Amino acid sequence: MDGLLAGNDDAIRALYARYGRPIYSLGYRLLGTRESAEELTQDVFLTAWRKAARFDPTRGRLSTWLMTIAHNLAVDRLRRETGVSRPTLVLVDEVPDAPGLDEEAVLIERDAALRALSSLTEAERRLVGRAYFRGMTAREIAEADGIPLGTVKTRLRSAMIKVRKANEGKELL
Amino acid sequence: MNCTGVRDRLAEHALGALPAREAASVDRHLGWCAACRKESGELSAASATLAFAVAPQAPGDGLDDRIVAAVREAVGRRDHRPATTPRRSRLVLVAAVAAMLAVLGTGWGAVMASRAARSDDAVLAEVIRSQSAIERFRDIINGLEFGDPEDQVFLGTLTPEAPGGGGGSALTLVSPSIIDMAIVLVNGVPGETRQHLPFSVRLRGEDGVLMVGRIERGGLDDSGAGTVMREFPDLEGYDTVIVRDANGDVVMSGSMQTRAVVASPTP
Repeated sequence: MDGLLAGNDDAIRALYARYGRPIYSLGYRLLGTRESAEELTQDVFLTAWRKAARFDPTRGRLSTWLMTIAHNLAVDRLRRETGVSRPTLVLVDEVPDAPGLDEEAVLIERDAALRALSSLTEAERRLVGRAYFRGMTAREIAEADGIPLGTVKTRLRSAMIKVRKANEGKELL
Repeated sequence: MNCTGVRDRLAEHALGALPAREAASVDRHLGWCAACRKESGELSAASATLAFAVAPQAPGDGLDDRIVAAVREAVGRRDHRPATTPRRSRLVLVAAVAAMLAVLGTGWGAVMASRAARSDDAVLAEVIRSQSAIERFRDIINGLEFGDPEDQVFLGTLTPEAPGGGGGSALTLVSPSIIDMAIVLVNGVPGETRQHLPFSVRLRGEDGVLMVGRIERGGLDDSGAGTVMREFPDLEGYDTVIVRDANGDVVMSGSMQTRAVVASPTP
């Protein structure tokens, strides 16, 4: 992170080599176009540079920090551009993999993610997908699906507890 | 919002599914509550896991080069800004105080004049006399001098713990490129409360607590008003102001809820 803070080329490229593709993929998934995904990826690295001094590895993993920045920026953008270029909802396990793209570290992360998703019921996965990958609030989901807001909140909480549980032990990897 | 309310919302918060206002409220709570922050961290880690579930996509060639160039350009802009000299930063502080008072409608002219009368600070007096503080501050914020387009100004109102216990205002300037600053003004502190001076003024945020300053005995004028200000390397995330008396009891407090760039304040 010191290298990123100083704008060191090698440090930026090393960070990009590991996280550039997952960030870009998340951006593409949420924003729906390659151009938007590339802009998002660049914004994430600029934000990470600005906030690098605040990153504390004792309080969380670098991947969590970067992907949270990426998701927040993408959701902000998605909400600003409601209805424009919003991608069609496709549940993640229905999206075929593009083989040969991942490095080992990312594959481990992806395995953990798919394992976490597989622990959810169909209804929970649908809700999580709408919240996380479409930037919808619980109220928006409730109105769209015609189910009580309290039910949406309860299911989201239940789902995230399952994801957290499935995520336990990943820190050891 | 208390811990129960926050924990009910942490899953949605981690998923980015909270409306902005509720998310900001949760963030403020997480700034000082370590227990909720721990749970939030775990849920955020779980949420970030989901990001890796998306189908991998290959970005176009040259994105890494463009990112390296963008970061280097940002580093260059930062490194080539004029240094913030003591005099300049003092001017920023003075201008910021005036701007805060003007924005909050506190009667800035009279208040600042009384400050100047007690002060030997020629810079302060000069700025106040010219009544150009607001314009200076706006220019700074808008990047004409050594501001940054990403500078953020946060304003807050301090409310007393007990009715009739006075009040106050606070301003923080958070900048990615120049030094940050906090200014807290208390006023209308009643006589009985003044018996418990000195007051400590602190900022609380997600990274801990920072001392802005102390209001010593004799540090309040006849109307029970006083000001503390201080510069900091980084104030991002510090969004709660707490004023305690000499016994450690909270006198007044408030949240920096209003984010604003002071575009065209009217004195």
